[in-house]
Amino acid sequence: MSRAAKDRTVDPVVVEIVQGALKACGDEMESVIVRTSMSPFIREKGDHFSGLTDRRARLLYTTNDRAGPGMIETIWEKYPAQCMRPGDVYWMNDPYLLRGAISHSPDMCFIAPAFLGETLIGYSLCFGHFWDVGGARPGSISPSATDIFQEGIAVPQVRIVAQGELNDDLYRLILRNSRFPDMLEGDTRAMMAATRIGQSRLVELFERYGAEQIEACFEELLLRSEKVVRSHIARYSRSGRFRFADYVDDDCVTETPYRIELAVDIDGDEVRLVDGSGSDDQAKGPINYILHPDICRMMLSRFLLRDDRTAFQNQGAYRVVEEVKLRPGSLLQPTRPAPLGLRAHTLHRFLNAVLGVFAQATAGGTPAGSPDYVIVIMHTLDAQSGKYVLCTDGLGVGQGARPFADGLDVIYSRRQKNYPMEFLENTYTMRIEHFGIAADSGGPGQYRGGLGIVRDYRMLADNVTLATRMANRKTPPWGVNGGMAGRTGSIIVNPGQADERRIAGFSDGIKLARGDLVRIISTGGGGYGDPLAREVARVEDDVADGFVTLEAALADYAVIIDPATLSADLAATARERAQRQAERAIAPPFFDRGPQFEALEQARQERRAASGASGER
Amino acid sequence: MAGNETYAIAVDIGGTFTDITLADRASGRLWQVKVPTTPSDQSAAFAEGIRRVLAMAAIAPGQVAGVFHGTTIATNAILERKGANLGLITTQGCRYVLHIGRHDVAKNANSYFWIRPARLVPPRRIEEAIERMGPDGKTEKALDETHLRGALRRLRARDIESLAVCLLHAYANPAHEQRVRAIAAAELPGVPCSLSAEVLPVFREYERTTATVINAYVMPKVAGYHQRLETRLKALDIAAALRIMKSNGGMYSAHEAARQPIHTALSGPAAAVVGAILVGRSSGHPNIISIDIGGTSADICLSRDGRPEITAAGEISGLPLNVAMLDVNTIGAGGGSIAKVTDNGSLRVGPESAGAEPGPACYGRGGAEPTVTDANLVLGRSPASLGGEVALDARLAEDAIRTRVAQPLDLTLAQAAEGIVELLNNNMAAAIRAVSVERGHDPREFALVAGGGGGALHAGRLAELLHIPRVIVPAAAGLLSTLGLLATDLKSDFVQTLIQRSDQYDLAKLNAALALLEARAHDWFQSEAVAPEDATLVRTASLRYINQAYEITVALPEKPAVRSETALTAADLAQLEDQFHRSHEQLYSWSSRELAVELVNLGVSAYGRLAKLELAARAAPPNPPPPVPRSRRQVYFGGREGGFRATPVHDFDALVPGQTIAGPAIVEQRFSTILVLPGHLASMDRLGNVLMEVRR
Repeated sequence: MSRAAKDRTVDPVVVEIVQGALKACGDEMESVIVRTSMSPFIREKGDHFSGLTDRRARLLYTTNDRAGPGMIETIWEKYPAQCMRPGDVYWMNDPYLLRGAISHSPDMCFIAPAFLGETLIGYSLCFGHFWDVGGARPGSISPSATDIFQEGIAVPQVRIVAQGELNDDLYRLILRNSRFPDMLEGDTRAMMAATRIGQSRLVELFERYGAEQIEACFEELLLRSEKVVRSHIARYSRSGRFRFADYVDDDCVTETPYRIELAVDIDGDEVRLVDGSGSDDQAKGPINYILHPDICRMMLSRFLLRDDRTAFQNQGAYRVVEEVKLRPGSLLQPTRPAPLGLRAHTLHRFLNAVLGVFAQATAGGTPAGSPDYVIVIMHTLDAQSGKYVLCTDGLGVGQGARPFADGLDVIYSRRQKNYPMEFLENTYTMRIEHFGIAADSGGPGQYRGGLGIVRDYRMLADNVTLATRMANRKTPPWGVNGGMAGRTGSIIVNPGQADERRIAGFSDGIKLARGDLVRIISTGGGGYGDPLAREVARVEDDVADGFVTLEAALADYAVIIDPATLSADLAATARERAQRQAERAIAPPFFDRGPQFEALEQARQERRAASGASGER
Repeated sequence: MAGNETYAIAVDIGGTFTDITLADRASGRLWQVKVPTTPSDQSAAFAEGIRRVLAMAAIAPGQVAGVFHGTTIATNAILERKGANLGLITTQGCRYVLHIGRHDVAKNANSYFWIRPARLVPPRRIEEAIERMGPDGKTEKALDETHLRGALRRLRARDIESLAVCLLHAYANPAHEQRVRAIAAAELPGVPCSLSAEVLPVFREYERTTATVINAYVMPKVAGYHQRLETRLKALDIAAALRIMKSNGGMYSAHEAARQPIHTALSGPAAAVVGAILVGRSSGHPNIISIDIGGTSADICLSRDGRPEITAAGEISGLPLNVAMLDVNTIGAGGGSIAKVTDNGSLRVGPESAGAEPGPACYGRGGAEPTVTDANLVLGRSPASLGGEVALDARLAEDAIRTRVAQPLDLTLAQAAEGIVELLNNNMAAAIRAVSVERGHDPREFALVAGGGGGALHAGRLAELLHIPRVIVPAAAGLLSTLGLLATDLKSDFVQTLIQRSDQYDLAKLNAALALLEARAHDWFQSEAVAPEDATLVRTASLRYINQAYEITVALPEKPAVRSETALTAADLAQLEDQFHRSHEQLYSWSSRELAVELVNLGVSAYGRLAKLELAARAAPPNPPPPVPRSRRQVYFGGREGGFRATPVHDFDALVPGQTIAGPAIVEQRFSTILVLPGHLASMDRLGNVLMEVRR
């Protein structure tokens, strides 16, 4: 710690007030977005972000623990801070210009500088995932995209509001590029209003306590998060180099699986290096993910903050990670014009690889692996009106089991919500005939992996086109510490009928007729610990509630349950468990990677040997 | 109000004590008693308290014009997960809607560590009905009654005590839900039934199901309880109507509350907030943070300009509760909170409480674990008896603290006792920060109104911790909630969803729907026996831009409550839309006259004016002499003041407005004790409230 930091005296009450005010401001920005935006993606599902930074663009507060850094620096390249004026709002979405600060085109960012008099004191920023920003397909994201131009309009750094004056020419130009201009307008207005709120709350705070005191508080809050992260690294992790690799099933346009590889150096109370440069070359299809180094750091600090609610996910938390090494031209650092629409799948593999690394560093102190969320896209074009109808539904999956509890059932990514059935049926010509739990989908373990879902959509309209995004079919979410991998999901049209069709995980352009039924079964999370050690009463409860079937209770947990009474035969169960234990040749492995992982690794080795191994890390 | 309606009784039941106030609402005169809560049957203390207060005031039961009640029956059932063994009927394919929720992880929680709160009904007690309503309210599949009977019989075999019914799109057409209730009446005789179309008739199945399930979960307990109360009142010869405080700060009849108990989830805390606002307003402090510290819990609420924060997106015990309620933060911290030393040697206080039985060690009712009340007694801060009635045994308190806290931690007795109190204070300060600082309010701009039996003992230190400049201890601090019960109106809200685009209004339909709502409000006035001159209707409409998910509620042109033919006109609607644009601009800083608007809900709020308590001024002689302490006793002020000090003890009843007391001092009220810390200055205002200036 520097001498200046040591000598700094801040009023401890004001620090708490400032921390509270930052959070309150972020919440208020969110509330305006949720209450006034129009895209169901934003208003029902909550795919948006609000944040605040200091004048040096250091992130102070974010409502999304993987977003915030990097946007302002990009704006500065075109509009340096000294030419910004009170009342300005800047807009952009180009992921390449943003170097991954946002990583696909539908996320539109808005940034507003805040001024105390003539002095720039900080920034408020937000993004929302807009319903449609043009491109090859309604919704702008398509598994079949092969370049970024098929994924909608690219907005470079533009000043959409200059000193309070909306640039209407530019505004109309951007609106015209959407299939749903009204929604784009509502969303844009909501975002701009949110940045204005952030702006004025920052100004109020500075007016109340003075710039010097507030900036000292900001330093203190960054330092607080840094200390928490450092103490958690020192307390829970051992030092050393840890590696983890995983696969994205394919890139949607070829059948090839893509490998990401991560190596992390932990030393004492800090992370010296995160190295993703050993990952495969960039893909032809849209699974490329521009990993911004600071967002990479945030993925680590998110785990390292643990459940300490006194410290925010801010620049102080993630600056503990020193170096991030990535390779240009690779899956994690693609070059333009590689398509990016489905980058979430690579992102989730990377996020899980971070957990895989810490699982080793903490001797099993992490959750097991979790699958990627599932997206179902259905759209039609009304020939008479010339209007598109688009439904993009995000579905939850089972999360990895924890060292202390079962995995969470049916969670989307973080805090994003599902669409209520009543919303879907009020808005679209479809019927949701079933919305339930995918029994037995959670990876068996002393703590069971979370469960996936089953959702049945009955088409009540003609000529619907379906696209799907479901990963983890080749490498299911891993089990850890004796726990088993989660069970993979599936997509079936007209199940049990003569014309039953199985659909690939990443697919596009599937034609549906009125009356067709689309069934989605989503993937479960990995298990934690030995399933033979799971309490019998928990297995009984799972059976009574339909989470685990009678057959799986026996096969996965060696628990024998009477089908009539649904209670376990304790003596028979003990015998069965003892026998299974005795039959084990070796102890269960630390990671259960599912049946295909080793074969994928071997095939890759062979390919590399044949091609003379390029790009050695 | 007629003179013969002047007497009213308010009863607030907390975890430890039952507070009763009898008020002469015309003169402001109050008679108050406090009796131990009777957890096995709370109606016993309810009746005993009323009997005693009537005797004290020498008022005949027949003179009582109203009985007002704040209850925690529903709250506790939900918090402790001790409600009914519940069954749920839902639409085929929806059995797991409740389990799945909205996919979401609690705000600010880290999903790697978060645990989902337990649902009130597990899937094994959820049965599906074969039926389908469309979103437009048209029947898509008729209800299969044979199948339904089978489902109900399976629930009967599971001994369910209450039934919730939430079918898809029932807000658009409740016919199938009503039919399920009719059949359930035959298959599950005596089992009460809650329909989603009656509890929360709005779309979004998870939130509606949760509200319906909460209602059903607490219904048998609440209904049985209200029945017992009414029997007790009858036995006391009190014919006056029993009314219950709602979570939104309004009142409704016990009969209505038994049908819709969900609105009592925050009944007790709401009463304390309304009471604190009354006191704050009458002493010139519209901005207050109220803290009501009872035996088991502390309730905290922030009010600005005399208005409490209200939420329609509330939460209880991790479950969404989307009915209007005061935004109260409740924590498990009170006089009964138990202190213990954990295995790793750290001292913890609460949230476990000794409650009313056995109570703190010093009650001598067999409680062995040390509590905050024991610590305050050991420190000399609280008197040797409660309200001069229940004697406290200091020796038992000392023993408990010495053996369970002081010795394990190698502290002196006084240090251990002070540590217990200080820990509790810090827990409460954090909870106050959550409603003030963390929402961007600066506590320095507020007064702290300290209510409940323990409020005045802790408020001075809380104000120091939070830099709050002033504390208000109400004249009847120990019975603040009962004042709130006497200071509010009857209120009920009626809503109907009717979606119409603003460029395609159907005036006839709108007026018909409005007339129906008003008819329901009039029925309610009748059932609540509201006289025409006391009845008010406020008509509202909720509008939004098309594609938005949330509406803004705008008031419709005023109309007298009495039935008339004042129908809405096209001009009214144009005015309404204009008002919507302006409200949207004001609330969210943007609006657009280019975007299409739609009307979503029509609403009628019905108010029945009740006679309200006015606080009476206390007799105030000019130029009062300095107050004379009744006695002195040794009170511990910790390291900063050199341990125990001989401290003046004042009798609250002997104080008059205008007198001031410099700390350290103790002021003993009948049901609470005011601790004036060294450096603080206490004075009595004209209403008998004690104001403490925090000088540190």
